[in-house]
Amino acid sequence: MKKIRIRGRTEYPGRVEAEALVSPMPLQGFTNVDPEHGYTTERNHPLFRVPYTGKVLVFPSQRGSGGFLKYGRGNKPAAFLHTVASPLNVLCALQAHVPSMTDFERDPMEVIETGDMVLVNADEGYIEVTKKEG
Amino acid sequence: MTTVRLTDEEKRMLQGERGKVRRICMEYLVEMCQISGAERLIDLDGTGDMHSPGLEMSPYYKITVEDLRELVARGEHFKIPTFADKSPFPEQPPIHGWERCNICSYRQAGVRQDDPAFHRRAMHEEEFRLLRQMGMITSHSCANYLTMTYWPTMGQHCSWFESSQIPYCNAVLGARANFDGSFATCFLGKAPYYGLHITENRYGTVLVRTDRTIRTDLEWDVFGYAVGCAVKCAVPVLTGTAKPTTTQLQKLNSAIHTGGGVEMYHIPGSTPEAPTLEFAFGGKKPRQEVCIGEAELRAAYDYLNYHTTDRVDMVYLGCPHLNLVDLMLLARRFQGKRVKVPCWVMTAPWLYYAARDMGYVDILAQAGVTLMSGACLAAMGAVPQGVECIAVDTAKQANYVTGCYPDPDEKLQVCYGTTDECVDAALTGRWRGEWR
Repeated sequence: MKKIRIRGRTEYPGRVEAEALVSPMPLQGFTNVDPEHGYTTERNHPLFRVPYTGKVLVFPSQRGSGGFLKYGRGNKPAAFLHTVASPLNVLCALQAHVPSMTDFERDPMEVIETGDMVLVNADEGYIEVTKKEG
Repeated sequence: MTTVRLTDEEKRMLQGERGKVRRICMEYLVEMCQISGAERLIDLDGTGDMHSPGLEMSPYYKITVEDLRELVARGEHFKIPTFADKSPFPEQPPIHGWERCNICSYRQAGVRQDDPAFHRRAMHEEEFRLLRQMGMITSHSCANYLTMTYWPTMGQHCSWFESSQIPYCNAVLGARANFDGSFATCFLGKAPYYGLHITENRYGTVLVRTDRTIRTDLEWDVFGYAVGCAVKCAVPVLTGTAKPTTTQLQKLNSAIHTGGGVEMYHIPGSTPEAPTLEFAFGGKKPRQEVCIGEAELRAAYDYLNYHTTDRVDMVYLGCPHLNLVDLMLLARRFQGKRVKVPCWVMTAPWLYYAARDMGYVDILAQAGVTLMSGACLAAMGAVPQGVECIAVDTAKQANYVTGCYPDPDEKLQVCYGTTDECVDAALTGRWRGEWR
């Protein structure tokens, strides 16, 4: 099984392995996230109502309201991996207390696809991607 | 993890020698430093802005009303001038006009905003009385800068929290704020030192061109949204625009931080940290160039329009909260007329009094328009029963208003266009807006 290891900067520590859910578009909070159901409610979004609970949520960046931090509440993801860091990712990690990483040596958006298994080892500053079969 | 260097006094606060609340606030700020990579805290010399009461900063860092009572009893104050943005959380009721706000509270079908008992609870009077005693100025507006009367000056370090106000603070005022306003930052007057507190991070990184001169309110709004979508969290330098009015800056700031995560931008010759194009980039070359021209503007306009019907059931204006000139212009448009469908207009609470004194409240009321203050339709999370298509004139509201109405049948539609087109829709119940 092919494994790809990428180093990055730890925002919030911890170690978890779970299936990836990749958002090709930036994620938006406030009214456009439903932490109870654990999915985005932004109309026309590729992940509209696709549950992220317990997944390694991979996305390029956040956009919009401070209500982005709601991704870190309720039925939250197992971990956050994002290409670009911003203050709202910091607030989200503060809410969630789950492993969160950014500033990777190689953009995880180019490597990870939905369904891949990802080991997030934020304690040691790397992720390890196991590509799904087929 | 980042090692955070604290001063001796900060260490004493962290160890609890300055009381429980300072300890919790300091723990919260230290963790924020560790996550963001900030190596130290900076003493704020500007202003604070926060969602309030805001006692629960996160599930792990919260203070209680009893803590507030003790702080007040000891005569403690916020360290910096601190403003409450928006109306009280989490219900966010209108400050004025709640009696006519005939919608349910966010996802609670049986609880209505126009119920006096609900409104009393939703105002959280005890918390706000205590917060006011600590110095909080309860201006309750997403466009707080309209009524603050006390703005941070160029270079001052601030801590704000409202998406449209962050770029206003940085780009328009030239003060320095990350998106982090909270009880902790305002009470201690400290914030993690990273991001836009640091000069190097404030320079432009993306050059934005356009082939259509950005002049009208709608053009600024669509442009802001499209730029945000294109540049994400970068610092864009906007060229090819006319000089923005205050209304247009309001729209730009809310739209650019809705389409993207833009907390800082420059308009050479217009915003204070961009006397020239070269200065805006700090003497460096842009990392990227994008064109937001006719095609991109049209695409953003079409994206924000989300309707198959032209029958409008409701019009909502005032995102961000309208300034006094906008209210004057709106009163002029509606004078002597009568709306056919409900038209709600939102302004800042203190401008409501000014609008009343100017006679605009009466003019609007005679036309059947409902003027409210402090709140936000999307934030309240409901529309009056039977409303299936709503008309708005800002990208921010157009973008958010559908998200919180998870009707099983996805029935809320959005018409997006100019203020005039929205006024026409209010008077006729029809949408006749088009991209021109």
